[in-house]
Amino acid sequence: MSKKLLEVQDVLVNFGGVTALNKVNLHVSEGEIAALIGPNGAGKTTVFNIVTGYYTPTSGRVIVDGESVLGLRPYQIARKGLGRTFQNIRLFGDMTAAENVATAADSLNKSGLVGSLFGGPRSRRDEAASMEKAHELLRFIGLDHRALQMAKNLPYGDQRRLEIARALALNPKVLLLDEPAAGFNPQEKIELGELIRKIRDRGFAVLLIEHDMSLVMDISDRVSVLDFGQKIAEGTPVEIQKNQRVIDAYLGVAEDAS
Amino acid sequence: MALMKASAFNLRDKFGDWWDGANSAQRTVFRIVLIGIFYALPMLNNPIIDTPETSFSSVLFYPLIMFSLMAVGLNVVVGKSGILDLGYVAFFAIGAYTHAVLSIHTPLNFWEILPFAMAFAMLAGVILGLPALRLRGDYLAIITLGFGEIVRIVAVNTEAIGGAAGLTDIPGPTSILGIEFTVMDPRPYYWLTLTLLLLVIWGVIRLSHRKPGRAWEAIREDEDVAEFMGVATLKYKLWAFIIGGAVGGLAGAIYASQIRSIQPELFTLNLSIMILACVVFGGMGNIWGVILGAVILGYAPEKLRFLSDYRIIFFGLLMVVMMNIRPNGLMPRKKREHFQEKSK
Amino acid sequence: MDFSILISDFWSLGLDGLVVGAIYALISLGYTLVYGVLRLINFAHSEIFMIGTMAVYFVVLQFGFTGYEDPLPLIKFIGIFLLFATVAAIVSGGSAVLLEIVAYRRLRNMGASRLSSLISAIGASFFLVEVFRKISDSKNLDFPRLINKDPFFTVGTLYLSADKVLVLVGATIIFLILNRIINHTKLGMGIRAVSQDERTAILMGVNVNRIISYTFLLGGVLAGVGSAFYMVFYETTKANVGFLVGISAFTAAVLGGIGNVRGALVGSFALGLIQQYTSAVLGYNWRDVVTFVILVLVLLVKPTGLFGEALQKARV
Ligand SMILES: Nc1ncnc2c1ncn2[C@@H]1O[C@H](COP(=O)(O)OP(=O)(O)O)[C@@H](O)[C@H]1O
Ligand SMILES: [Mg+2]
Repeated sequence: MSKKLLEVQDVLVNFGGVTALNKVNLHVSEGEIAALIGPNGAGKTTVFNIVTGYYTPTSGRVIVDGESVLGLRPYQIARKGLGRTFQNIRLFGDMTAAENVATAADSLNKSGLVGSLFGGPRSRRDEAASMEKAHELLRFIGLDHRALQMAKNLPYGDQRRLEIARALALNPKVLLLDEPAAGFNPQEKIELGELIRKIRDRGFAVLLIEHDMSLVMDISDRVSVLDFGQKIAEGTPVEIQKNQRVIDAYLGVAEDAS
Repeated sequence: MALMKASAFNLRDKFGDWWDGANSAQRTVFRIVLIGIFYALPMLNNPIIDTPETSFSSVLFYPLIMFSLMAVGLNVVVGKSGILDLGYVAFFAIGAYTHAVLSIHTPLNFWEILPFAMAFAMLAGVILGLPALRLRGDYLAIITLGFGEIVRIVAVNTEAIGGAAGLTDIPGPTSILGIEFTVMDPRPYYWLTLTLLLLVIWGVIRLSHRKPGRAWEAIREDEDVAEFMGVATLKYKLWAFIIGGAVGGLAGAIYASQIRSIQPELFTLNLSIMILACVVFGGMGNIWGVILGAVILGYAPEKLRFLSDYRIIFFGLLMVVMMNIRPNGLMPRKKREHFQEKSK
Repeated sequence: MDFSILISDFWSLGLDGLVVGAIYALISLGYTLVYGVLRLINFAHSEIFMIGTMAVYFVVLQFGFTGYEDPLPLIKFIGIFLLFATVAAIVSGGSAVLLEIVAYRRLRNMGASRLSSLISAIGASFFLVEVFRKISDSKNLDFPRLINKDPFFTVGTLYLSADKVLVLVGATIIFLILNRIINHTKLGMGIRAVSQDERTAILMGVNVNRIISYTFLLGGVLAGVGSAFYMVFYETTKANVGFLVGISAFTAAVLGGIGNVRGALVGSFALGLIQQYTSAVLGYNWRDVVTFVILVLVLLVKPTGLFGEALQKARV
């Protein structure tokens, strides 16, 4: 069995009276595309917010590549290897596409402000590396022709993909995608599926939240299902499709949810 | 007015095109000529630009270049990083008092004191920033507002630094490069400030185009997301505060060395608000915009009698109006986008 | 520093603390109510209070008092008080509504950043202060003594005087009325709905712009009434009176837990007491420094205050 890069153990989250996650266990292993599905409000995005350190769970543990990350600030967890995208696109709108990606790439080097001011050799090298990485990732994602355009002026689909490039700039051990296909037409969904595979083949494990079942079933190695903060099933796409609890809780509702 | 704006914009884009096309020799020549003009400004002697109260060269020092320097400093905080600091005057006051106290009580001269003035202001930035910068934007604004006022109240109540009466007989800078700094002639102070301003501009532009600039911009755009993308947001906000503070302290020291006597009443919230108005009016985040803002808002009340009496009324109104109709200011920060064909 | 005064004047300091606290409470409610619906500190609220004091001063001026008369008989005083308190409530309430329209509404509907709204409000605040500085010629506007302030009841060091009783009783009545408005009227329900979750409130058919307007109105009216009490108690005002009173009232709101009405009350009385006792020891000059330190400490140690719910982070 391959190494687990992200583990969520017995995580419990309360918001006021609402139990958003109830003793949830999840993991993502090296080289896999794992999917997290469930009706709206099931707690999927909350899982991302917990593992990236935005919220602290009431109880439970989060482990990235064998190390507990509880109590770390989000930027520290990001540097340890979790890159994420957002259900509602959140790019740095007034920055260019290249700068968006470079900002994330920057966080992997140790150049400080004083070095940047006086332009020592290290900061020069790091600066070049960030820009190089930004352009390389934009090429990878098919956006190199947009490099110098402002993020807020990009077409919707390009914005979604730019978010992925930005997250990849962190060299994440696990890439967390929150409904990346939302608003895509069938053709774009197919392309996105290919892109996610390509990302996995580059060596990044992926945890995918998605409502589009054909996309999920097509590309995932393993699917976990949340309902009302509870994990109700886990298995291969084939197993999940046959699982009666999942069908009851989710699949009936999923058609009109987006 | 609308017409003027439109043509200004065209000019700006034309200039941008020219600049992008220019080679480095052309750019250097342009820079030297421009800087030369600025150094020569106090030599202009024309009753049209003199103000009712004082000569042009005096206005050039205060408020024009002083406001410009402070606005450039505050812009790092408010414009680049999106942190609303309403107590900027505190850093200015700390710089001024540092020069006043040290020059009176120690044998150090102005040039030796300058680093201390900046260092103390930076230290104040850390002391205020470390706790305050963890808070959300509007809390931070009110804390900095309070801080600006508290520094003044403490100065009023501390007899060791002159209390409400302040300090007098503050020595000016000793002569340097054969330039004498006298009470009568504001021009050397202008040249001094201009030189320092150019250095500050150089530094800020350099930082803006690199990692710290991207981090600041990301923080301004969306602090949570910046943090998710690995940006150590607290650290960069603190740096913005420290840099802004250092520039404020620098300005304060020069100011004290020129006017030779200071009282807490010189450092009221109104000054913070005036500098903020310069930044907002000129264009938050655009260094040239905020300087333009400082020049216009510094000069207009000096020149126009009716404005000088109603200065703060006018500045307050301006802030409301600008936010409502042109939130990015006269000269918005704007990146020139470059479009490329898709390469496939 | 003189601690003995704490013992000797314990009760009278406490009484003053409650009186000051009651005045703060009326103002801090405005911060808290507006914060509830906008999630924004209304920076210009202190000027709404200032305008109230100006209205009170102006009304009383019309009666032609010179300041040397004998105090008014109680009934007559209460009549005049009701008159200028009403005028102040109307003027402050109206100004607050206007402020919301001019400084906030357009920006909100444009979806402008918080920074823009803050700057706009700060601009409005300074604009108002300076306008009144011009009108008042930068002077302290002193108010005639309308009521006999000699203590009419004394136990030990506790001196009860008519003005203090007026403030405490009057403020209590206002709080009871406010309680009814918030918990038992449609407006109160609207305010609570918008405070809890704006999006759901919209779905439920609440007109958010209208609720926000009414919230500013309510906050303004309370500040106006507060300004009437303030003038009876302090008997002076000036253009920038709002700054320090505003910081105190805001601190009280934060101390109690911003957004929480009960918190604003408790925080205000607590701050009033703290200010009286610490100024007695440290000297009046340091009162505002103490207030500021309290504000910073609360924000750092327990930003939710005494009663505030966990401040929610923006949902990602
Ligand atoms: N910051 C928050 N405060 C209160 N409740 C929240 C917060 N974030 C999420 N919730 C609640 O937690 C539940 C799960 O939400 P979420 O994780 O966004 O669901 P999903 O992404 O599966 O649609 C929902 O009931 C939601 O209302
Ligand atoms: Mg979600």
